Amino acid sequence: MTLSHCIVLALILCAIGVYGLLSRRNLIGLLLSVEVMLNGANLNFAAFAHFRATDPVAGAIFPVFVMAVSACEMAVALAIVIALYRGRRQLDVRSLEELRG
Amino acid sequence: MSLLLLPDLFLLLLGVLVLALDLLHAKKPSASGSFHLSWTGLLLIFALLLALPYDQQFVWLGSYQVSGTSLLCKQLFILSALFTVWLARPYFRSGGNKRGRLAYQGEFYGIIIFASVGMFAVVSAGDLLTLFIGMELATIPLYILAGYHKNDHRASEAAMKYIVMGSLATGFMLFGLSFLYGAAGALDFAALKQAAMAAPASPLLGLGVCFIIAAVGFKLTLFPFHMWAPDVYDGAPTPVTAFIAVSSKATAIIFFLILFHGPLAALHTSLQMPLLLLAGATMTAGNLGALRQTRLRRFMGYSAIAQAGYLTMALVGPRAAAWSSILYYLLVYAAANFAAFFLIAIVGRDREEEFSSLRGMGKQNPGLAAVLMLTMFSLGGIPPLAGFLGKFLLFAAAAQQGYYAMVVFAALNSTISLYYYLLLVKEAYINEASEARPMLTVEPLQRTCLALLTTAMILLGLWPGYSDFVVTVLR
Repeated sequence: MTLSHCIVLALILCAIGVYGLLSRRNLIGLLLSVEVMLNGANLNFAAFAHFRATDPVAGAIFPVFVMAVSACEMAVALAIVIALYRGRRQLDVRSLEELRG
Repeated sequence: MSLLLLPDLFLLLLGVLVLALDLLHAKKPSASGSFHLSWTGLLLIFALLLALPYDQQFVWLGSYQVSGTSLLCKQLFILSALFTVWLARPYFRSGGNKRGRLAYQGEFYGIIIFASVGMFAVVSAGDLLTLFIGMELATIPLYILAGYHKNDHRASEAAMKYIVMGSLATGFMLFGLSFLYGAAGALDFAALKQAAMAAPASPLLGLGVCFIIAAVGFKLTLFPFHMWAPDVYDGAPTPVTAFIAVSSKATAIIFFLILFHGPLAALHTSLQMPLLLLAGATMTAGNLGALRQTRLRRFMGYSAIAQAGYLTMALVGPRAAAWSSILYYLLVYAAANFAAFFLIAIVGRDREEEFSSLRGMGKQNPGLAAVLMLTMFSLGGIPPLAGFLGKFLLFAAAAQQGYYAMVVFAALNSTISLYYYLLLVKEAYINEASEARPMLTVEPLQRTCLALLTTAMILLGLWPGYSDFVVTVLR
């Protein structure tokens, strides 16, 4: 396993995340796609820390911060999902169309 | 420890105090204690920022550095938070807004203050980790604020769109930062600067910068990442819209300034062309979008997109010109935008926030109509108001690098924008209301704020010394 394997894997995860964001209909599915993307970036940090870095500790610490931040983000996102569900009784992206123009 | 760190610590403390006071008042939802605490606290921190020395630098733990420029940015963030707090006050009283009353006043102010702490961290960052954490601290609270009308469908929809787009941007940002880390081997700016000077054409750096431009482009509403902005501006409560339009946009453009005129300065020449293309596309998209709007806040959303285009154009200038023109324009833009949002808040008290609600304002409320006219003239860039000088400095920054075609293109765009800004003035002065409506009520607080903002718009236009001051601080 080399650095380029890891980077390619991370970029594939990024692409899967973006594809999921564009194609999923369910709001929870969108949030899952975001998580896939963030973890792809974490993998990237870990790979660079292992193979290249002059300061490997920094790269190892970064994913820990990312996990904390993404947990906060998901907490807020789920709260908004609940607020949406209370109003509409469905979680379909296509129902989000009151604001347009 | 140093005096320079005090504003950040006090702001953090203020946020905690506001939340604690809110706990004490939990039984009285309309208590005004948290409001008064927030604005006096912010005002005191602003005074402290003015009193600090601007020619010193202080680095804390290697990753948090406070310099004169970061203090200047902090002034802007504090002012923006202060006016947001003042703007939000009537929304917590019954009858303060047609969409209904907001609840949880103390938490609202607390969240605004904590978001400002995040913005402080962005402008004081000394490494990529602080930059990332600051950016997230400045953004996640905004998602909550955008959905603050909990029972309003449009607000939750806006918040959902915002958080999905924002999380995508976070993902891009992380990829960008990880590639920069890979290129530099460490997270601090000094290492990144060395790596960029040693190999400016390194593919890792290029990939990283592309991802970062995309990520920050979301927050700055650069074309093609601007689609969320009009929806969020329209759905969120008006004070939140103002805060997103001013503070969040300022954070994003300052983020670019910090990176492209700091550690990545070696890449600046090769970045000029892509930045100019993005800027041109952004101002055109914003201006064309604004032409066909009928809702006031949606209109402000597109107007803000166009302004982001002008700001991005100035990034290509030399360091001193870019910093001074962008900070000056942000101040001018903040004054005009807050004035516009105060007017929208006054209109939205009893009427729909649409163009037609402005009709008859010139006869019924001549004072308000005059402020509206000045605000729109400043946004459009008509001398002697501040917007003209601000745009002039932005254009001059691009012209200093010889991009005259771009300057002409931006000036043409600015002419289009003048057309739709004047549409609002026409609604207020020329079009008659179809039925008789009661006069718009202006609260004393709103009147004071509008007076302050109007004075700022006129004085900044007559006295451009601020941008010279920025240049002195930069040295």
